[in-house]
Amino acid sequence: MSGHSSLPSPIARVWEPLRERSRSKRALLLMAPLLVFELLLFVAPFLILLRISFTSGSTDLRYAAGTWSLEGYAEVFSSGVLLDAILYSFKLGLIATAITVSIAVFYAYAIWRAEGAIKSALLFSVILPLLTTLVVKTYAFRPLLSPTGTVNDLLLSLNLISEPIQFVPGTIGVIVGQVYIVLPYAVLAIYSVLSTMDWGIVEAARDLGASRPRSVLEIVVPQAMPGIIVATVISFAWSVGAYAAPGLLASQRVPFAIEVEKRLLSNLQWEIATAYAVIMLLLMAASIGVLTVTLNRFGGEFEYA
Amino acid sequence: MHRETVENVAFRAGYLAILTFMLLPLAVVVATSFEASGQLLFPPENYSLVHYRAFFEETRWLSAFDNSLLVGAGTTVVATTLGVTAAFGHELDDGRTGQLLAPLVLVPLLIPPIILGISMRVYFVRAGLNASFLSIILAHTLWATPLVYFVMRSVFSRFDWQLLDAARDLGAGPIQSFVYAVLPNVKHGIFVGGLLAFIVSLQEFVMALFLSSHSTETIPVVAWTALRQSLDPMVSVVSTFLILISIIAIVAATVATNLEWLSKQLS
Repeated sequence: MSGHSSLPSPIARVWEPLRERSRSKRALLLMAPLLVFELLLFVAPFLILLRISFTSGSTDLRYAAGTWSLEGYAEVFSSGVLLDAILYSFKLGLIATAITVSIAVFYAYAIWRAEGAIKSALLFSVILPLLTTLVVKTYAFRPLLSPTGTVNDLLLSLNLISEPIQFVPGTIGVIVGQVYIVLPYAVLAIYSVLSTMDWGIVEAARDLGASRPRSVLEIVVPQAMPGIIVATVISFAWSVGAYAAPGLLASQRVPFAIEVEKRLLSNLQWEIATAYAVIMLLLMAASIGVLTVTLNRFGGEFEYA
Repeated sequence: MHRETVENVAFRAGYLAILTFMLLPLAVVVATSFEASGQLLFPPENYSLVHYRAFFEETRWLSAFDNSLLVGAGTTVVATTLGVTAAFGHELDDGRTGQLLAPLVLVPLLIPPIILGISMRVYFVRAGLNASFLSIILAHTLWATPLVYFVMRSVFSRFDWQLLDAARDLGAGPIQSFVYAVLPNVKHGIFVGGLLAFIVSLQEFVMALFLSSHSTETIPVVAWTALRQSLDPMVSVVSTFLILISIIAIVAATVATNLEWLSKQLS
């Protein structure tokens, strides 16, 4: 942005600052609409949510406006069902994230190494599900994974199992569905880092006698760490807050998102639902922070190893 | 030599398995839309177009289709306008506002949509806008804008800013210089950004679920309610249309740029 210094120096000395100032004013003017939008549509609704979480409940209204109370928070901490749902959410989040990120590293590596039509096919297979609605993707796992579904038929006919397994509805189904939902994002996050990497380094390691798995673990993974961290954070955040996969594939145990929806829309307990949402957000922010710091350190150690 | 071959076979089998995993559910959706009986069977036993005929007779689905297109178009216009102008401003001058803007735009993507849905429902009920198209468009814009914004930042960062300076030096006004010097160089990026905004809006359903009423519900919302009651083959039909729209969008974006670039923008 500094390609304009051909003016004679006395004029330039007056002209350049003026020009810079008008430019930064214009920049501010251009950024203002989005800033206002974010404040009105994201920050303000969130502050109202926070305020409602501190009201007392009422039987006829959705919440008692103007009151201050910790009832909502007390209810969340004393309700076994609500705490259980939080625990279940985090469990789902951790399992889905671990599976997603391991598959994503492998697949991103495969895309990076592939060429021509295969590379296009692999990229397409990531982008197409990414652009298809959650509802559609998730519901397809019902005919696939139900006790009378395709996968069970296949396993039965191969004599690998004697009784059909109930993946769906159930926790296994939820995890498979959730991994399917977040995998494209994770793959692309890692791939975008890998694609800027120099293949020569890996080749050098291989020439020096490293096996393929070892060269991947010791060269590719540390280099791809920024992408892996993004993939982990996204997978974790979205899996903990998952709504679609549990909604369509879960059996009895439900995570936080389903519980909070029930409290708000069916029971009309606004103060409980909002307090629950606030607590969940704080827990998520804290765990994402811990996760990122840990991974950063992990990535750093790898570099010096 | 032998170990190398085994490794290669395992490697290929591995990524082909994932490729299958990625595409199989979509294949299931498309295939089940042709199943003659009302059941969801994969692979289908009898092929028939009976559900497609039923789709075009069902007003609820057709009006949901119109609603989705309306919300998608609205989201595209608002998100593209906000995203392009802000990214342009950010490139012009990376001041304190710019540093505040980037995380502020990004954070909504990390918050569970259910929480965003709740907070916006509460908000729009107060503002008297609940269940309006506007409320859904604004909610979707919150999700679509980051995509447009980050796509455009990467596009603008490759733009040669001397062109803009040259246009200004030659006497073009701010708007004139943008239209003649900047726009021709970034129009593909804007097109892809807008397309992504449209697709994001078309597929989002959690916030729409919280913000829509019977007259404003979009396709994923109708599909969701239909599926919660029972497995409905009509959902497969509608989904097939949605998948088709996504394929057309990917092809269009690939023609405008290329698959590799598109994939990097999406991450």
